[in-house]
Amino acid sequence: MNSAARLILLGLSAVALMIAAVCIGPTSLLDFSRLVELMRSGPPSPELQRASIVLWELRAPRVLLAAAAGANLALGGLLLQAIFRNPLAEPYLLGLSSGGALGAVLALAAGITSPTGPALAGSLAMAGIILLLCRRVASDLPSLLLAGVALGALAQAFVTAIILRFDPSALRGILFWLMGSFAGQGWSATALVFPVALVGLILSLLLHRPLDLLALGGEAAHHLGVRVRAMQIAGIALASALAAVTVAACGAIGFVGLMAPHLARRIIAAPHAASIPGSVLIGIMLTVGSDLIARTLLVGVELPVGIVTSALGCIFFLALLRQKR
Amino acid sequence: MKTPALQVDDIRSGYGHKDVLHGISFELSAGEVLGVAGPNGSGKSTLLRALTGLIPLRAGCVQIEGRNLDSLGARERARLCAVQPQIEIPPFDYSARDFVLLGRHPHRALLGAADANDWRATDRAMELVGIGGLAGRGIRSLSTGEWQRALLARALAQETPLIFLDEPAAHLDPGHRHAIHTLLRRLAHEDGRAILCVSHDLDLAAEFCDRLMLLQTGSILALGTPGDVMREEILQNLFHCAALRVVTNPYTGRPGAVFAP
Repeated sequence: MNSAARLILLGLSAVALMIAAVCIGPTSLLDFSRLVELMRSGPPSPELQRASIVLWELRAPRVLLAAAAGANLALGGLLLQAIFRNPLAEPYLLGLSSGGALGAVLALAAGITSPTGPALAGSLAMAGIILLLCRRVASDLPSLLLAGVALGALAQAFVTAIILRFDPSALRGILFWLMGSFAGQGWSATALVFPVALVGLILSLLLHRPLDLLALGGEAAHHLGVRVRAMQIAGIALASALAAVTVAACGAIGFVGLMAPHLARRIIAAPHAASIPGSVLIGIMLTVGSDLIARTLLVGVELPVGIVTSALGCIFFLALLRQKR
Repeated sequence: MKTPALQVDDIRSGYGHKDVLHGISFELSAGEVLGVAGPNGSGKSTLLRALTGLIPLRAGCVQIEGRNLDSLGARERARLCAVQPQIEIPPFDYSARDFVLLGRHPHRALLGAADANDWRATDRAMELVGIGGLAGRGIRSLSTGEWQRALLARALAQETPLIFLDEPAAHLDPGHRHAIHTLLRRLAHEDGRAILCVSHDLDLAAEFCDRLMLLQTGSILALGTPGDVMREEILQNLFHCAALRVVTNPYTGRPGAVFAP
């Protein structure tokens, strides 16, 4: 099967999963014949109104938010992995997510109830520091990656220190930022993340050939006419922006940015023109699927989606290990 | 007088606080193969990196086809000079033809498929290095010799007047080494390209290059025809090896180095 056929299959699976995620839940929308019957039976019944609210105000924006977040994280991971030429690079590891969490927790500690702005500022500040370091030590990418890890750990330490001072009753809200969630966001978060995902996808596709050349190595890319440093800075900036917006809207969701490009490379195994859309589709399936699990696994309790993605990540890498043996 | 393909004026370059190249000057004309040899650490690789803009010049000036290297944009530079790298690990299993097509990047728009001209240059480059029959093969299934030719073909597909090669025959058996060097000479003499070839293999360089440059600790020790440069006292001093002797190839009349007991 060639990569175009694989992409189409991935696309169909992603759409199917999104439709399923919209239909499945405490109020099931799976009984289509019953819904059609309700729609035909004259004046809107309370049951239909309820179904309509669940569909349009709860599930649809939530699934679209999860999909856009998955696309952003996958793109961020793919860009960073191409630029650092390191399969472990991803927004979460670079400390961008921790920066966002720190911004949010600081805002909550200061009594701000909706810390989306501060979370965005936190992630972007972290991205700024990394880009600044990039200008200073551009030729040495591994150290830059280590610097990101160190900064992320520092941000995490601050987050923990601040949380200790919180009232136990406020901890639930903080958990949201630390583990990520798509719950109860309505259309406003979707309206923020979805366009960003689209722009990110278009920009990444525009850069697909330079990314292919960078994957050959910095020197080869240089000789073939790529402005290597400019590409590195552009890629890190784009990945940072995608991650920052996602963290600001949905909290810090780990492992998706790591898993999606890995899986895409295994399934598509082709240059970036194909692996970019492939990663995005897999990212969408990972977040939408994880969110579905997070809200249906336990009756009456909703898990933070980050728990599910982390668990999936653990299984994924154990499977990788087993294969490598 | 015609502008040389490559003109190097008194360049200095290096890493950190240390200069590795201490004022190097030479010219390379179209249709000429220049070999660069010297012991380990003599600055061969650094010279290549400085000439291709990978590391900045600290002094002096490099002109490619009369254009100053520092003033060239990345794509412009890649349309004037191509580099065959010594090693490269392919990230994907491209088909050989798609891999060689990567050399067309500096000629192509950011988006859009390759045009007829790109494919023509790609196929011609593959024919030239003798891998025209491997177009559909995955590059990971190529032998070392075929892979080295694919790397050369990618550089040729850039259709540049100037080509740099870094140990083009490393890891190759004698048959392939001979084939690659014959090809280089043909590219220069028949196609009019200017070729600078860094080589560890002194004999091969002396056999196939029009001129030879010997580097010693970042300076030019000797530069001239192989007959001028391959002299026993020069080589013995350069490589710290009193057993080196120069003999003449009975078939070509070219000098070569052998060891005396």
